[in-house]
Amino acid sequence: MNDKLRAFSGQIVAVVIALAIGAVIIMLIDESPTKVFMTLMRGAFGDQAKIAGTLLQTTPILICGIAACIGLRGGMFNVGIEGQLFLGGFAAAWVGFAMPLPPGLHVVVAMTVAVIAGAAWVSIPAFFRTRYGTNEVVSTILSNYVAVLLTSYLTIFLFKRPGGWSETPPILATAYLPELFAFSRLNWGLIIGLALALFVAWFFRSTAKGYSISMVGSAPKFAEYGGIDVKRQGFMVLLASGAVGGLAGGIETLGVHHRFMEGFAPGFGFDGLIAALLANGSPIGTIVTALFFGALRNGSLLLETDTNASREIITVIQALIILSVSAQVLMKRRGDSTAGERRWKF
Amino acid sequence: MSTTSPATAQTAVELIGITKRFGAFVANEDVNLTVKRGEIHAIIGENGAGKTTLMNILFGLLQPDEGKIRLNGQDTVVGDPATAISAGLGMVHQHFKLVPSLSVADNVFLGMEIRRNGLIDHATQIAKTRELSERFGLKVEPEERVSLLSVGIEQRIEILKVLARGARTIILDEPTAVLTPQESRELFQTLRGFVAGGMTVIFISHHLEEVMEVSDTVTVLRHGKHVATRPTAELTKADMVRMMVGRDVSFDRRPREKTDGQVVLDVKNLWARDDRRLPALRDATFTVRGGEIVGIAGVAGNGQTELAEVLSGLRPASHGSAMLKGSDLTALSTAAIREAGLAHVPGDRLVRGVDGSASISSNLLMGRQNKAPWSRNGILDWRAAGNQAVEMIKRFDIRARGPEDTVKRLSGGNIQKVVLAREFTNDADFLLIDQPTRGVDIGAQESIHDEIMRQRASGRAVLVISVQLDELLTLADRILVMFNGRIMGEVDGGSADSERIGMMMAGLEPGIVSDEVAS
Ligand SMILES: Nc1ncnc2c1ncn2[C@@H]1O[C@H](COP(=O)(O)OP(=O)(O)O)[C@@H](O)[C@H]1O
Ligand SMILES: [Mg+2]
Repeated sequence: MNDKLRAFSGQIVAVVIALAIGAVIIMLIDESPTKVFMTLMRGAFGDQAKIAGTLLQTTPILICGIAACIGLRGGMFNVGIEGQLFLGGFAAAWVGFAMPLPPGLHVVVAMTVAVIAGAAWVSIPAFFRTRYGTNEVVSTILSNYVAVLLTSYLTIFLFKRPGGWSETPPILATAYLPELFAFSRLNWGLIIGLALALFVAWFFRSTAKGYSISMVGSAPKFAEYGGIDVKRQGFMVLLASGAVGGLAGGIETLGVHHRFMEGFAPGFGFDGLIAALLANGSPIGTIVTALFFGALRNGSLLLETDTNASREIITVIQALIILSVSAQVLMKRRGDSTAGERRWKF
Repeated sequence: MSTTSPATAQTAVELIGITKRFGAFVANEDVNLTVKRGEIHAIIGENGAGKTTLMNILFGLLQPDEGKIRLNGQDTVVGDPATAISAGLGMVHQHFKLVPSLSVADNVFLGMEIRRNGLIDHATQIAKTRELSERFGLKVEPEERVSLLSVGIEQRIEILKVLARGARTIILDEPTAVLTPQESRELFQTLRGFVAGGMTVIFISHHLEEVMEVSDTVTVLRHGKHVATRPTAELTKADMVRMMVGRDVSFDRRPREKTDGQVVLDVKNLWARDDRRLPALRDATFTVRGGEIVGIAGVAGNGQTELAEVLSGLRPASHGSAMLKGSDLTALSTAAIREAGLAHVPGDRLVRGVDGSASISSNLLMGRQNKAPWSRNGILDWRAAGNQAVEMIKRFDIRARGPEDTVKRLSGGNIQKVVLAREFTNDADFLLIDQPTRGVDIGAQESIHDEIMRQRASGRAVLVISVQLDELLTLADRILVMFNGRIMGEVDGGSADSERIGMMMAGLEPGIVSDEVAS
């Protein structure tokens, strides 16, 4: 418990440092940091509709964050969530417009296909990782580009809505994820995301499988010695992570856009990964960090109209957070002055 | 002690009344230490006795809460390592601080680079490194990259770094912990050269043979306090152990009943390759019976690691079989081998034996996460796991704050006890114990040996691999000696002659060497 608190205090310091540097940058462009932050807050939580908007942005970040958490806990760095999200989004759209089904069932089938698409997409890097030890970071990053371009190709050349933009035909109303309120596109996706976070947290904490996977993540040689099939677990972890990434895409399609289009949901996969890292791979923590990033995104819409700061300042702050979280991790390693000693001394 | 006579010029280092606290914990309490110029002064003590802390204070890395330091007869406030270095001190730390991607010479001069026209003058650095290396007999190749070098050579570079900074008094913190016996011997040679040239060496160790071999004077610390400082020649090993532990510790051969168990492990013509794909285990054939302890002796790196890994499923065999009560271990996965009845205490316990970042309960759960009462229908019962941990902490005398304590906070001996607790309570018929007490305090060694004898008495088949021959002479019913991947012969543990075993460990025993052509 104490250790957990300490681990998080590092993350909080990282965020504070990032915000402080962000403030300095804002001052450099002759704008008032308080004004910018107040505008952000107003943009994110100013009224009912804004809060709903923030939660709408939070949903895909949260689900992608959970996908990343699954990978991180199992020792796999899935940087391909963005790509899995695109494929899941496209797959769900395809079921949505091309496969008429009764209401309810249509949603379930479309989501399932999205999940399968995400898992299938990551299964290629997962196979190479398990079979040949190919670093999954590189292969999943590369798979993003292929995914984005592949879905663009499918959209523009095979399934383009006649006369429309670079987008597929709209999905049938039977495949819509129900909305929660009349005044916002906020939908059941948020509930699914929250439930998933709770489930994954419980899974790692309380099941034998979750224990085995965590051990593979934190001490792979120990896990191997203890009789856990490390390669198999690694493969399954990547698959599960990709499946959740696909789910995130499916929810975006069925809940928000009701079609697939080029440039669909940009950057949610990466934001989710950062949210998960900032939460130390904890799904519950990711709820908080995803909300933070969702609020930044939504709040930033107001920035350009109400202040001189560009919306890109949000990207800068995120980059600063990544840097200071990495620095924290490095410093923590250094701070444990006995780490090297323990490595040598039995 | 209390005088400030000019005679102190004869002393290189004097620590007077040093006390250091970390919070409420007292790591050094009123410690006095006088190191004469030109001697090799060993500092011994169990893990956590405060040796490293004391040296860090001397070197200016930590500030004492009380006490003072006199260097070369002068009262000195050692506020930082720079002060210590300018007073002629140098320290080789327990863990090395080299930059792997740089060359040997660049590492030696790191932070004091020789420059010409503002740029690093590599040629001069290389020449100077070569000169130092030749002058002190520390063979290194200055242009090589550190990442390609062995630990023994890395240590030489650390020593060269210290020499390049003009040290006359050199502190080495457990320098031999990472060395092979051969490398240790070379190090001792170097140290003797230093003192012959008028330098002073402070040498921390808990290998008593080494201390006997190399030091002139011994200082013993226990629980942060200074126990004694004596000329090495006046002390026996038993004296040192008594002072370190605070009581008599017996490493006499354990008394035992004769047993007549069934064959549990039957190894036949077992071969395996090492990581470089060269044969490392050659044609091993032996048995282990229930109620019997078989020891494997040998200098580290003669195939023992590979043998242990093959028996536990972590390395494939290239030929041969190892039957454990009817199942051939060479054909099974690690999980299936555990199912078949193996308990395994691994040699590299920090990598294989535990997850340092997890709690004691969680570490004790490994291998049981799918079994009742620890889990039902795939759902873990952490209460049962916690109860188990509490029980084992008591039974194995694990010094920890509680079952939720993180394993990496524990001392080496207590981490080993966590591993033993898990493996010894597995109800396995065959116990494979690799280096039971490596790096474990002497006091704890005794209780680990007690526990191994108890396992024998309960009818288990025990295979103990150890590079410490004494340990095998204490425990084993039979000792197999390995050299170059081969079992050179077998001796009875009760009547073993360590001289003869030593010959076999060096591959020098004729008549037993098998006549097969080495591959
Ligand atoms: N920075 C520190 N903070 C708290 N406790 C420490 C610190 N450094 C050492 N200790 C404690 O002080 C004791 C002595 O440690 P050390 O000097 O490293 O022992 P030795 O080198 O004799 O094994 C140990 O119990 C250790 O846990
Ligand atoms: Mg130490």
